[in-house]
Amino acid sequence: MKTEADYYELFEAYQRGELPEPTRTELASRLAADPVLARRYADFDALTGALHTYGQRRLVRGKLTALQTEIDAEAAREETLETGVPTMPSLHISPVERRLREFWGGHRATIAVAASVAVLAVFATLLGIEWWRAVQKPNSYGYTVLRREMDRIKRNQRAINRTLNQIDGVKTPEELNPGKFGGTGFALTTDGYLITSYHVIQGADSLLIESRDRQRYRAEPVFSDVAHDLAILRINDKDFKGFGRLPYSFKRGSADLGERVYTLGYPREDVVFGEGSLSARSGFEGDTAFYQISIPVNPGNSGGPLLDDRGNLIGVISGRQMDVQSAAFATKSSYLMRLVDSLSAAAPGALANVPRTSQLTGSTRAQQVRKLQDFVFVVKVYE
Amino acid sequence: MGKGQPSYTDEEFVAAIRHGDDRALAQLYRLHLPMVLHLVQQNSGTEDEAKDVYQEGVMVFYEKVRDGSLELSCQIKTYLYAVCRRLWLKRLAEKGRYGGRLDDHEPYLVTGAEADLALAEQRDQQFALMEQALSQLGEPCRSLLEGYYLLDKSMQQLTAEFGYTNADNAKNQKYKCLVRLKKLFFTHYQEEEQF
Repeated sequence: MKTEADYYELFEAYQRGELPEPTRTELASRLAADPVLARRYADFDALTGALHTYGQRRLVRGKLTALQTEIDAEAAREETLETGVPTMPSLHISPVERRLREFWGGHRATIAVAASVAVLAVFATLLGIEWWRAVQKPNSYGYTVLRREMDRIKRNQRAINRTLNQIDGVKTPEELNPGKFGGTGFALTTDGYLITSYHVIQGADSLLIESRDRQRYRAEPVFSDVAHDLAILRINDKDFKGFGRLPYSFKRGSADLGERVYTLGYPREDVVFGEGSLSARSGFEGDTAFYQISIPVNPGNSGGPLLDDRGNLIGVISGRQMDVQSAAFATKSSYLMRLVDSLSAAAPGALANVPRTSQLTGSTRAQQVRKLQDFVFVVKVYE
Repeated sequence: MGKGQPSYTDEEFVAAIRHGDDRALAQLYRLHLPMVLHLVQQNSGTEDEAKDVYQEGVMVFYEKVRDGSLELSCQIKTYLYAVCRRLWLKRLAEKGRYGGRLDDHEPYLVTGAEADLALAEQRDQQFALMEQALSQLGEPCRSLLEGYYLLDKSMQQLTAEFGYTNADNAKNQKYKCLVRLKKLFFTHYQEEEQF
């Protein structure tokens, strides 16, 4: 009985053609006849074949690897060589930069996507917040409140200061902070209550009242009515001595259409008189708490008093419509009086000195204004 | 080439490599290396990965040439490009970073490369199996078989090297080793086949 190893010896000799003639033909015929033997031979053939290809492959792979190392070495040598020659421009890349370049080459698409997502997110957030604010704002389109922003004045004042400095070469005293917004207000009682528009003092940190003779008082909001754009302020300054007797009275009823009306206000640093007539008994988009008046008003007029011929206060200037010629709006005094009534009911004695009679009746417009202007103030708002 | 080396046409390359001309192989290798480096590095691969892929691609080409079964319907350059492109795609897919397309900078033609690759893959598997079987075989069988079949040493040389008393002893030992290798190899082979 032959072992498998013996068979392998036989097969190898057969494969190489080293068998003598009779054994060779015998083996060939046995292979053809005996399937077990044929199978064994096939296995042997496959195995040696696999061994051979394995060997070949290892050889070639070794050759290629050697070739590659040779090329790498050459490249390294060339790099070091070329740096020695000043006339040959050569790209010299540090290992750090190479790593960075590889990283960039590998991840630039991802980085680009991430960057654009980040940029988009930032802009979407900013625009979203802006939009949300716009939605939150109670202002209707076309309606503009008349509070004045002070930045422009501030700039002017700086410019003036600069020129003054250049002329005299003297340092001017520290300029006063003119506040962020401004409006107009007027006295309600002799003991320091004032009326202005709610939107003037909206978001205020502190309030300053400035009279025509540059007297400044600190004030605080006492009550505000957002719906009718009204606010009541009180002066809480030690230096304040009282306004003196108020020349005008407050009208509780409604004023008539076509009545000649006028206002005083501070759209600029100086008090400005404006005249017109009462053109409608409802305000913007039919709001019945407001009058429409044909007085040209400007930012800063807000909170100014609206008086009729006989010196009755009939309203408080609030805003204007942008797309309509000289259409300004003023809160009706009846709403103001309702507010005053409810306040004095809540706190008796606080608003006891609201004037009931007007001293202006019968005097000319100029006389009226002369008396009135001491009771109209600038309201400065600091945020 | 500018380096004083003979330059070959494609046909001459194939003929020279078929006859085992290592210089032709080396030159071919150098000739197309930059192309594949560029391809792989452009498509989020490193230099080392590129060299790896290129070596594998050249192996496929080389084996086809040695078999005599190469039917080149295009330039060698195009063939190598197609093979290496395919290989790199596979690697990318394994890494899970393949975005669905590659930046091609060479004209990419449909060549016989795909079929050749499938064949080469099969051979690769066999190659791995043989490596595994040989490593499990243990010394001195492994060295003996490698010496005889892979390094083409004569029986006399091996007898001296391994300290056998005569060539017949060494021969017997070799056949025994072969039988053991066969068992290892075919058990793996059949295990693989069952999948």
